[in-house]
Amino acid sequence: MKLFLKPSLAILLAATVFMSTSCSDDEDPTPENEEELITTVRLHFMPQGGGSMIMATYKDLDGDGGQAPTIIGATLAANKVYNLEVELLDESKSPAANITAEVEEEGDEHQLFFVPSAGLNLTVVATDKDSKNLPIGITSSVTTTTGPSPAGSTLRVVLKHQPGTKNGSINTGDTDVEVSFPITIQ
Amino acid sequence: MRKLVYLRLLWLLGGCCFSGLAVGQILPIAAPTDAPFDKDCGITLSGSVTDHEDRSPLIGATVLLEGTQRTSVTDANGHYHFHDLCPGNYKLVVSYLGYTTEKLDKSLRAPEVVNFRLHPDVLLLHSVEIRGAKQKEQITQASSKLSGKELAQTQGQSLAQALERMTGLSSIQTGPSIAKPVIHGLHSNRVLVMNNGVRHEAQQWGSEHAPEIDPFVASELTVIKGAAGVRYGADAIGGVILVEPRPLRDSAGTSAVLNLVGVSHNRQGVVSGMVESNPATLPSLSWRLQGTLKKAGNSKTPDYYLANTGYQEQNFSAAVGWTKEKFGVEAFFSRFDTKLGVFSGSHVGNLTDIRNAIKRERPEPEADFTYAIAPPYQNVTHDLLKLRTFYRTENLGRVSLMYSRQFNQREEYDTHGGGTTPGLRFEIETHNSELVWEHKPVGNWSGSLGATYMYQFNRFEGRFFVPFYQSHTGGLFWIEHWEKGNWHVEGGLRYDYRHLQAKLFRKDTPQKTGNAALDNELLTPTHTFQNLSGTLGATYHVNPHLDLSLNAASAWRSPTTSELYSNGIHHGTGTYEYGNADLNVERAYNFMATLTYRQNQRLNGEVSVYRNYIQNYIYQQPDTVPTLTIRGAFLTARQNQANATFTGVDATVTYQLTEHLLAAGKASLVRAFNRSADEYLIWIPTDRYEASLRYSVEAFATQQRFKENYLQLSGQAVSKQRNVPDNYLARDYALPPAGYFLLNLEAGTTLQFGKQSIEIGLIGRNLLDTAYRDYLNRFRYYADEIGRSITLRVSIPLNF
Repeated sequence: MKLFLKPSLAILLAATVFMSTSCSDDEDPTPENEEELITTVRLHFMPQGGGSMIMATYKDLDGDGGQAPTIIGATLAANKVYNLEVELLDESKSPAANITAEVEEEGDEHQLFFVPSAGLNLTVVATDKDSKNLPIGITSSVTTTTGPSPAGSTLRVVLKHQPGTKNGSINTGDTDVEVSFPITIQ
Repeated sequence: MRKLVYLRLLWLLGGCCFSGLAVGQILPIAAPTDAPFDKDCGITLSGSVTDHEDRSPLIGATVLLEGTQRTSVTDANGHYHFHDLCPGNYKLVVSYLGYTTEKLDKSLRAPEVVNFRLHPDVLLLHSVEIRGAKQKEQITQASSKLSGKELAQTQGQSLAQALERMTGLSSIQTGPSIAKPVIHGLHSNRVLVMNNGVRHEAQQWGSEHAPEIDPFVASELTVIKGAAGVRYGADAIGGVILVEPRPLRDSAGTSAVLNLVGVSHNRQGVVSGMVESNPATLPSLSWRLQGTLKKAGNSKTPDYYLANTGYQEQNFSAAVGWTKEKFGVEAFFSRFDTKLGVFSGSHVGNLTDIRNAIKRERPEPEADFTYAIAPPYQNVTHDLLKLRTFYRTENLGRVSLMYSRQFNQREEYDTHGGGTTPGLRFEIETHNSELVWEHKPVGNWSGSLGATYMYQFNRFEGRFFVPFYQSHTGGLFWIEHWEKGNWHVEGGLRYDYRHLQAKLFRKDTPQKTGNAALDNELLTPTHTFQNLSGTLGATYHVNPHLDLSLNAASAWRSPTTSELYSNGIHHGTGTYEYGNADLNVERAYNFMATLTYRQNQRLNGEVSVYRNYIQNYIYQQPDTVPTLTIRGAFLTARQNQANATFTGVDATVTYQLTEHLLAAGKASLVRAFNRSADEYLIWIPTDRYEASLRYSVEAFATQQRFKENYLQLSGQAVSKQRNVPDNYLARDYALPPAGYFLLNLEAGTTLQFGKQSIEIGLIGRNLLDTAYRDYLNRFRYYADEIGRSITLRVSIPLNF
């Protein structure tokens, strides 16, 4: 191949092969965990007028997909009032990060909603307010009436991110948390 | 007798579309060259003009009937023709630059075909260059081109929207700012985009990522429909889109052009300029600089603005070339840089959010017009560097060598994070080299052999969606063309090998445990894929007007890393997507028949029928069980493979009603069927029809300042997609929307100020301000398409 003896071509060919291979960038990813992740939701029910705290937990340590979440429900007494406090954690980090404070800080963009399933005789009223006097829902009061609740009753807890659209409605914005806790009223 | 047979054949293949054929051939129209003839006896004289040595067609050769005013210039296939001649004796004179002129006395009694083979003029061998370039373009597959005025009319639109003008093409959209081309129902990784001769490599896997190419760079857009893997590399099982800048200047001088575009519905403004030069003192050197600035605000539907749909672009390119007769070298660099707002109304989370958004009459939040872009938005840059050189000798032919580097960076900013740090950053780096030898024509054979090598590397920062990977792809191809008489046959074979290594942590796979020590283990799965692609096709020139092409092609595509390893919630679609590491290659068997009728005074048209059988077609299969996350339930989709068929028809026809009035019609239909599951596939383009009436006047008698005037009214009808699986809502959030009809109007003129001309065009789209939704728009759940929009474009060419 006399053709390839042409110096100009030979140089270019060599340069091409060189560039194609020397740019080989065999890089490995580094484990990062900077993402904002909520792995755990805890509901703390404090009976008004004394009694021991009751806790319900939703925990999904590996995040979306993978292992299924573990869910522990709560059993409440009929005709009673509880102070409810919601705790949001990122337990994939060590030590675990507390997300609740962040939600509280951005209270005018966030709201927690509580939706009892049909037949679950329980009402939830938020006791905290954002700068515009709209509820946030990190602390609230829960009133139970008659029991027992039907089998399979749940309390759905929804944290909405509603920048600019927060108006007390659950149907706007995007969802940061949506979990259902099995609840029994005895 | 022969003519009758062809007519019957046309009837069979073209159906009633072509029933006007006989009329078209007999009825003369008053073309200037016909003027001196007061009698027409309906006799046609036609034929081809080719090179004596290699039979390649000579385009633009002049055939003169001596003693009359009548001339015919050969078309893209080297064909000439005279209509409506009377019996008599004629003297034909055929001339072409670089060839010796030939004369022939001809006594004409009946329609006749006379072919000429011209001998090259030894003194003017330069013209050989042009032939080499032209031959490659002859393909037996259906293809369409957009260039010149037609391309100019798409200014202000994205590449995919411009391509929609061609039959068989549509676009899959993500809101008003992102559009991706679809050929015969296939898109993304199944369609190769060749940007200035380089495979455009970016995040093709995502249907919500538009090709990062400035349409102002292109002087010609070509689409090859159907499997075309042999010349352009595996993956092209749906087709190839060629975005070609015009060649650098080959004659001394400097010229420039300034384009200005304004669009009403999003108050878009575009400024694009180009300057190129070939100095008289250094004729081998040519250069070009080009740049585009674009800014658009929120788009408007008939009833409301779409929040956060503005975008900005800053693009430039530079090219320089040194060309001698035997040797040439060219360097090209381009940068595409855009910031795109992602429609706020689509930023929804889980299934409940999506259902809420679908139920709303108007998207939320309400928006006014603004140019401001807030999170969520994307920053995308794409750099392309290309070096190319060729060397040519009489004995060998032509050898060319190309190297290119592409760097694609995409940053996605979420509503969380305040728009300061991207939630996700992707970088794809691609190196390509290609060595092609176009051998000297041997007898009736011409062809090329080539070798290609590609190295690609992907990395990301932020939340996981597609892993790090690197791939090496090597290919060898050989394509031959054979031409004799009325036949053109092409055949080609290609072998490709791909080695792919992904790198991901266990926590990014479905096997994650939640235990940091275990989950941070690095996994490096590798895959190798190798296969053959082939093509075989023939074109038969039935007569100078009619070509019949048949093509059979096979191509394959290796699964992408996203199809193998994606794992997570796709925020654009709100679906939890699982990859499938066991996927095998996809293989397409594509058959196509095309009938082209052209160069007729009245009637021109093309019909192509295709069937693309895809074995192991990779698609997302919805899972009946949603994925439960802390943010609620998400639709779940898993990668699956099935045998699928894509069958369809593309037809276009134009009819010259009077000297000034041209009627045109287009139709494209495709049916895509999952053979394994025995049901239709979803997200396939619906039937599209278009009809237009164009009035054009070269110059008015009263107003000489306005040249090339035209006014075109067109209607576009898109039907509802009814060819869908029975339990549709198990696979998609909402049923396909209703069909729609849009009315468009275009007008243009060229203003002449002395020697300076200014081209002005006005385009009105969706004139009736119809509120509609398109099935292939991913945001059809949340919002309407854009309403009435007026585009004004001004093009000012400058010659120095």
